[in-house]
Amino acid sequence: MPECKKNKCCADIKKDETADCPINYFQNQVENSLDYAESMKAEGAKIVGIMCEYTPRELIMAAGGVPVCLCGGSVEMVEPAEKVLPANLCPLIKSTFGFSLLKENPFLEMSDLLVAEITCDGKKKMYELLAKMHPLHVLELPQKPEDKDAFKHWVAELNKLKTALEQRFSVKITAKKLKEAVRVMNRERKLKRELAALMKSDNPPLTGRELLDMKSLISGMPEDFKQYEKALKMLPGRKIKPAAGKRVRVLLTGVPMPHGAERVMDILEENGGLVVCQENCTGLKPILEDVKENTGDLLTAIAKKYFNIPCSVMTPNKKRLVQIKQLAAEYKADCVIEVIWRTCITYDVESVLVKKMTEEELNLPYLKIETDYSPSDTARIALRVQALYETVKGRKSSGRFEKKKTRKGR
Amino acid sequence: MYFAGVDAGSRTIKVVIIKGSDLTVSGFGIVDQGVRQAVKAKELLDKVIRNSKIKIKDIGGIVATGYGRNALSWADSKVTEITCQAYGVKQEIPNARMIIDIGGQDSKIIHLDSNGIVNDFVMNDRCAAGTGRFLEVVADRLEIKLKDIGRYSDKAASPSKISSMCVVFAEAEIVGLLAAEEAPENILAGVQNSIAKRICIMAGSGFKGPVVFTGGVALLPGMKKALQDCLEHSINVVKTPQFTGAFGAALLAAKDKY
Repeated sequence: MPECKKNKCCADIKKDETADCPINYFQNQVENSLDYAESMKAEGAKIVGIMCEYTPRELIMAAGGVPVCLCGGSVEMVEPAEKVLPANLCPLIKSTFGFSLLKENPFLEMSDLLVAEITCDGKKKMYELLAKMHPLHVLELPQKPEDKDAFKHWVAELNKLKTALEQRFSVKITAKKLKEAVRVMNRERKLKRELAALMKSDNPPLTGRELLDMKSLISGMPEDFKQYEKALKMLPGRKIKPAAGKRVRVLLTGVPMPHGAERVMDILEENGGLVVCQENCTGLKPILEDVKENTGDLLTAIAKKYFNIPCSVMTPNKKRLVQIKQLAAEYKADCVIEVIWRTCITYDVESVLVKKMTEEELNLPYLKIETDYSPSDTARIALRVQALYETVKGRKSSGRFEKKKTRKGR
Repeated sequence: MYFAGVDAGSRTIKVVIIKGSDLTVSGFGIVDQGVRQAVKAKELLDKVIRNSKIKIKDIGGIVATGYGRNALSWADSKVTEITCQAYGVKQEIPNARMIIDIGGQDSKIIHLDSNGIVNDFVMNDRCAAGTGRFLEVVADRLEIKLKDIGRYSDKAASPSKISSMCVVFAEAEIVGLLAAEEAPENILAGVQNSIAKRICIMAGSGFKGPVVFTGGVALLPGMKKALQDCLEHSINVVKTPQFTGAFGAALLAAKDKY
């Protein structure tokens, strides 16, 4: 059993003081995933890289593939990418591409296929360059979810993906395999949802950063499931420092924070906040809904689940606002903080609506943080975050000072 | 009991001491920022205490604010300049709804609710266009003393158009204007209009008044006019615009005790 390396994360776990705590297990998420990918590949499984939560991992798994997330979170990969890509581009796209240029991402290098989801324009055009180096299947997303033919188009796209997987890997995606894959993914989503729900407590037993780290690059890893179950048993009652009760409860929304790009999360939590809810693609957004299992037409059921993800590339994207509203209430958020990777146009423009809804309907303070992977603006972001937390506290205690002042008859 | 607010800004350090019982100002001082800012700030604080004819033991609390606040280990607590500005302004102009604060290194817009509590804020500190530093650079280039800027820009017959969003590029633009023998007062007025435009964008469309102008740049007469013209709204300049942050910090120090 691996020994606990970071005392701070399991020091407060009562039942299992020094043994392997689940939070620690996930500190090695990259190594865990790599070990798994290598052993699966040795057994003949295909590695399939994905770069978006719209891709149904179920289809890949049913084709005997191992779906692995390739979204780059490393600042080190941004500069190399800028030798080819424009500097004025989202850091996630640049980092993902930089990994490919330098052949530094072992998962990308061992991938038998990439599924390239057309979400934003930056990704779409980057895929054309990526396709020169890797086998790649383009998955087109509808953009007007309210249109009558949007869903039909999406189902057709998934059918094309299914055929592509079958032909490339010389397999047949049977109903039985698909059903099993759906079962695995539903279970993973449920476990992750339950973990996230621990943050609803007035004294959450883990930090937002710890929760963010409790994932792997690969879905459906059996050891992960064991660790999630263990965490659900062990974590309730754990105490975090500084005490959760004194911290400002943050609902985080906006862009995903891939592995390596957690800097803003740390700034939020090191300055007196606790991120209780993550409404983004590395948080709750892709796992709130499951695939309906008891149905004759599983592909349509799968399509339905993914079709419902409220990403800013969709227009209109009304569901995201409804979702933020519900989550803010469920998780008792004190404020909403939106993170935008610089030049992420769809999230940036949509932030106008999120801010308006937050201030007018939730009556909560809102802060938008626009940044990239470089640490140069850490102090600037911290100042804004501190000011926002002061605003939250000021609103909560407003009136107190003034009353006393009047009494003193100034 | 007395309370002190220390605003360690990017260009200057300001100290304000207030009397806890009635929140009136007992003393204040200002000094240019330097390398050893914690020492500089402490020296200034000691000087203001002496000038106020009180003793250090009479100080019931010290709140630090401004960029350098975290370097002032002897302060009892640290509060951001956004919250401090709001407190300082509210004390002087209780019904204020928007604050324009232009300092040496950044500019900010703070929206207040009807109780004077911060509702929302926008900051510009990524570039120096839109800050006092911009004016410094330009005044230097035009060989005009900073304090005389207002007098010059008042005389401008037709303000130049300065469109660069970056001080370095704006400086190049100004070199071009000088080469074309444009009058310095027109260039200065153009720069002030350019800063005002950036502030207007930050203020947004739905702001509420009264609007209060604070920070060192508020000392320059031409800026108030440039902002009023751009915002199409009247602007109040507080009596001592450089000290609002330190004053707010002192009020917050008193708040914990009273």
